[in-house]
Amino acid sequence: MISPCQHRQALSLQDALNRRSFLSHGAGGIGLAALAGLANGDQTARVTPGGLSGLPHMLAKAKRVIYLFQSGAPSQMELFDYKPSLEKYRGQNLPDSVRNGQRLTGMSSGQATFPVAPSIFNFSKKGKCGADWSELMPFTGELVDELAIIRSMYTEAINHDPAITFFQTGNQLPGRPSIGSWLAYGLGSENQDLPAYVVLTSKGTGRTDDQPLYDRLWGSGFLPTQYQGVKFRNAGDPVLYLSNPPGVDRDMRRAMLDEVRELNEQKLAQSGDPEIATRIAQYELAFRMQSSVPELANVKSEPKHILDLYGPEVNMPGKYAANCLLARRLAERGVRFIQLFHMGWDHHGNLPNALRGQCKDTDQPTAALIKDLKQHGLLDDTLIVWGGEFGRTVYTQGALTENYGRDHHPRCFSLFLAGGGIKPGVTHGETDDYCYNIVKDGVHVRDLHATILHQLGVNHERFTYPFNGLDARLTGVEPARVVKEILS
Amino acid sequence: MTGTVRTYLNGDNLTTLAQQLAPAPEADKVTLLRRVTYDLTGLPPTPDEVNHFLADPSAVAYEKVVDRLLASPHFGERMAVPWLDAARYADSNGFQQDGDTFQWIWRDWVVKALNADMPFDQFGTEQLAGDLLPDATLEQKIATAFNRNHLLNGEGGAIAEEQRNVILFDRVDVTSTTFLGLTMACAQCHDHKYDPITQKDYYSLMAGFNNIPESGVPTFYSTRIRVGPPVVELSSPEYEEGMAKLQEQESAAKTAAGPDWEARRDALQKAWEDQLLADNKADESNWTRLIKDVREAPKDKPNNYAAGRIRTEFEQKRLPALPGQEDLKKIIRIQTNLRNYKAEELPRVMVMEESKPRQTHLLSRGDYEQPLEKVSFATPAFLPALPPAAPSNRLGLARWLFDPAHPLTSRVQVNRFWQLYFGTGLVKTSEDLGSQGEYPLHGDLLEWLAVELRDSGWRVKAMHRLIVTSAAYRQSSRATPALLQRDPENRLHARGPRFRLPAMFLRDTALAASGLLQTKTGGKPVYPYQPEGIWDEINVYGNLRNYKHDKDAGLYRRSMYTIWKRTSAPPNMLMFDMPGRELCVVRRSRTNTPLQALSLLNEITYVEASRALAERMLVEGGSSTTERIRFAFQLATARKPSERELHSLLSGLDRRLAFFQSDPESAKKLLMVGEKKAASELDPLQLAAYSITASVILNLDETVTKE
Repeated sequence: MISPCQHRQALSLQDALNRRSFLSHGAGGIGLAALAGLANGDQTARVTPGGLSGLPHMLAKAKRVIYLFQSGAPSQMELFDYKPSLEKYRGQNLPDSVRNGQRLTGMSSGQATFPVAPSIFNFSKKGKCGADWSELMPFTGELVDELAIIRSMYTEAINHDPAITFFQTGNQLPGRPSIGSWLAYGLGSENQDLPAYVVLTSKGTGRTDDQPLYDRLWGSGFLPTQYQGVKFRNAGDPVLYLSNPPGVDRDMRRAMLDEVRELNEQKLAQSGDPEIATRIAQYELAFRMQSSVPELANVKSEPKHILDLYGPEVNMPGKYAANCLLARRLAERGVRFIQLFHMGWDHHGNLPNALRGQCKDTDQPTAALIKDLKQHGLLDDTLIVWGGEFGRTVYTQGALTENYGRDHHPRCFSLFLAGGGIKPGVTHGETDDYCYNIVKDGVHVRDLHATILHQLGVNHERFTYPFNGLDARLTGVEPARVVKEILS
Repeated sequence: MTGTVRTYLNGDNLTTLAQQLAPAPEADKVTLLRRVTYDLTGLPPTPDEVNHFLADPSAVAYEKVVDRLLASPHFGERMAVPWLDAARYADSNGFQQDGDTFQWIWRDWVVKALNADMPFDQFGTEQLAGDLLPDATLEQKIATAFNRNHLLNGEGGAIAEEQRNVILFDRVDVTSTTFLGLTMACAQCHDHKYDPITQKDYYSLMAGFNNIPESGVPTFYSTRIRVGPPVVELSSPEYEEGMAKLQEQESAAKTAAGPDWEARRDALQKAWEDQLLADNKADESNWTRLIKDVREAPKDKPNNYAAGRIRTEFEQKRLPALPGQEDLKKIIRIQTNLRNYKAEELPRVMVMEESKPRQTHLLSRGDYEQPLEKVSFATPAFLPALPPAAPSNRLGLARWLFDPAHPLTSRVQVNRFWQLYFGTGLVKTSEDLGSQGEYPLHGDLLEWLAVELRDSGWRVKAMHRLIVTSAAYRQSSRATPALLQRDPENRLHARGPRFRLPAMFLRDTALAASGLLQTKTGGKPVYPYQPEGIWDEINVYGNLRNYKHDKDAGLYRRSMYTIWKRTSAPPNMLMFDMPGRELCVVRRSRTNTPLQALSLLNEITYVEASRALAERMLVEGGSSTTERIRFAFQLATARKPSERELHSLLSGLDRRLAFFQSDPESAKKLLMVGEKKAASELDPLQLAAYSITASVILNLDETVTKE
């Protein structure tokens, strides 16, 4: 245990580091030069620009993450966890022995029976690994030999807000930093002209009135706010306030900034506050972003065969396909954590049609992204994660009809990973015949977090930030385990 | 007195701890005026205020300014902001509808109380337990909204009891962080590792908040889900007027329809019900079941729920489909309007109310499904006991907090005051004065201030006056390299504070300098410029959608009145370190990022303000370019520019005049930005060039910094 006294020391050192790292973030020569007197030698030596010193803790397999968050919770039974055995239970009430005290959401708590609903979709063996794969995702199915599929994910949350908050921050209650913010804080960005954590959102066609997303999901919690995710907008400027006002061109902007800088330098000389040097550097960075971001967002330079790979929606800003291509371009430019949120997976009713819509939105672009990263030589050091916040119940919400739906299910669900040092072509974990409980190799949300961090060379137990008198970490206080079985 | 205090605040304590670092000289008058005006009102001083101060030869000229500022209505607005951060105040309920609420009525209570210099013990007591005071007034009940500003999760599957416990955790967090400066959350799951707070302490404190008639989830008042009971319903002249109009319409419609209108409606409904029962169609099974439920219910136990649903279905869906019956349909339409009007427009503030006692349990690992031993209300055992006469409830909690023997309450508050002025508290971890928090660097100063607050009768304005008139506060903020090396964070107070203005006051500054600012205080949230589609990209629920900015005064009100939708908070505030107002925050981070630069340079608010400032330069700023630049520079920074600064600004202006003369189209475009029309009597080329200069001035480090 750290004594309070040691802790205090740790805290002030940590603060010094934080201050140092954000001062140097994006600061060109002037910022650093003006700051030379600020930190003592010991601390300076420990700092690497744009991230914490001492990180990564170990050799990193991945340099960046593309997290394809499927918001609303895709059904594991229709997509990944093939259960032919369910056919014999069709329409039967889920036995209490299987449910085993699992709590219900407010939507099915009044339900008298829980009729089992087998998937109406077909599965077939794919790839050399022979994984069972749903007909709903033919494009991604061609790539199963690249994927590590986890069928034994579980969580504790049963409703969207706590569950997504858990996945994003390691805690069901609001207030913690999101995983992208943690990594932006710890590892910084490889590209000083772009934010370290970028968020892209899209609405699904499977369910257009799906539950919302919200700022907090990519918030920085108790970390300084510059580590919060920057959500690119789907219309207008990708980054807020990026464009000059009408009537102001780039030359005039340059002249303005030179003038601001000249005056700020006079002020710096007079007041001695190093924060002014930082501000000058941030204005320069803003100016560079005004060209780097539009260049990034302009996909016209992509050859036709690449655009075709992502499918017809690649040219429609705000669509998942367009975001997947942007994700590759962000990865190419060294953005640390790229997170897509695709909405529309919350299928309490009308699940078959809704799933068709969602898969149509996402299947081809997801596959394209993996292929495209591979052909750009980026797959090896880009970790891809695809998944939602929980699973869905084997029983239907309401009566079993053709348009059945499924409620939220925390006890088991599936997701997959690829690239970034992940062992390709493996399936990990197993669920019971009812696809209700895990029978082998459960992977908790925390374990996934530990694994993602591990691939980036970060030991989740050692990556902490002092908050509320604790060395807080993404994985919290409960034990978490790196899922070694899916690592190459 | 002042003299003593000044000596004390800059005397033995500070210099000893600073190991004989010499204090800086007093800041020049203009800098000091600007600093204190920002600190006490969140606004820049006007040129008149500057001139008046400079011209006042009195030895207490500064003290006079302080008294003027303390009496300003903007004092309450400024001091409310950190309090609203702590109270996680917002204008929407959270998730997933995130519809709007009327909690702004509480926000106005806070501003009023601060302006009236309500003693802090009363301020705290009314917010924690105003409803439990003898003969509680409406205002005192409204004050308790402090504990009802929490998120309300309204997603379909939300488990009410789970959410109710989340709210209880939140209340313990808000109360302990705000008043005790302790982070108790660890004790949700286990005894605190470092501080002597046990899990039992945690749940015993929580028991004080567990007697509220609340479900944990929001209630449908109308198509807009907004609030959860308990609420106090208020009225307003506008509301009464609207109501009277609708009631008039209703009685006119009833008169026209004749006295038998209800009998006619009932007969039609019965006919519809009979038909459904006779047809017995599968797709109407829901209704036939409910109809049977009503008809088969025992006489002494009528099924009002089912009857209500059937009545609504008939009136809203079936009756309109019948031929004729126009008079009945009209009555129903008006009644529906009346109901909706009441549901949507009647201001109701979520408050505390002690009418549903519940047994509180210790929860294993904080899991509401795993209750352990029973607990009843108690304050943490390691702190002094409840005062003898204090009741065992929230009011007792308040009495305990403000008992003179309480070691934390006043320390916590004075430390926050210090943080407000100096950027960092005497204990840096102002949320945590426990053993894991920072050890106070100037412990006896903290003690002394704490005692002063308590013994002065918790007079808040007096405390603020004490600090801003101290020599420590009045120092120049100029930092030498040696001093920076020695004390980079200025913890030793051998110089004055210098840091970027808080988010809201940045925007307020641009509005004030440009003359656009509307200084009205209080009232409903306003809708200034926000990015197109701000509320719709990631949410299709609730009534807060399709953001439309106001067209006039609402564009220019102080930022604290901007509607705060939790799931999509104003990005120009979040960018500048505003917390998301989802949970208690008493210490903001302070960052310096490129997104901030983009906002100040390009956001419509600032572009329009630059043009408005340029108009002021041309109209009020004198006849020469130099005078005009001096005028704007002074509006933004309070001081006059140096010759060198003037030179930079003048040559920039010249270049831009030349540019716009060669490209009048660009000038025209620039002048179109914003709702306010550019002054047509001014030369557009000149105005455009001046607008850019104004923007340069508004982007200066000095403009955005308190120094």
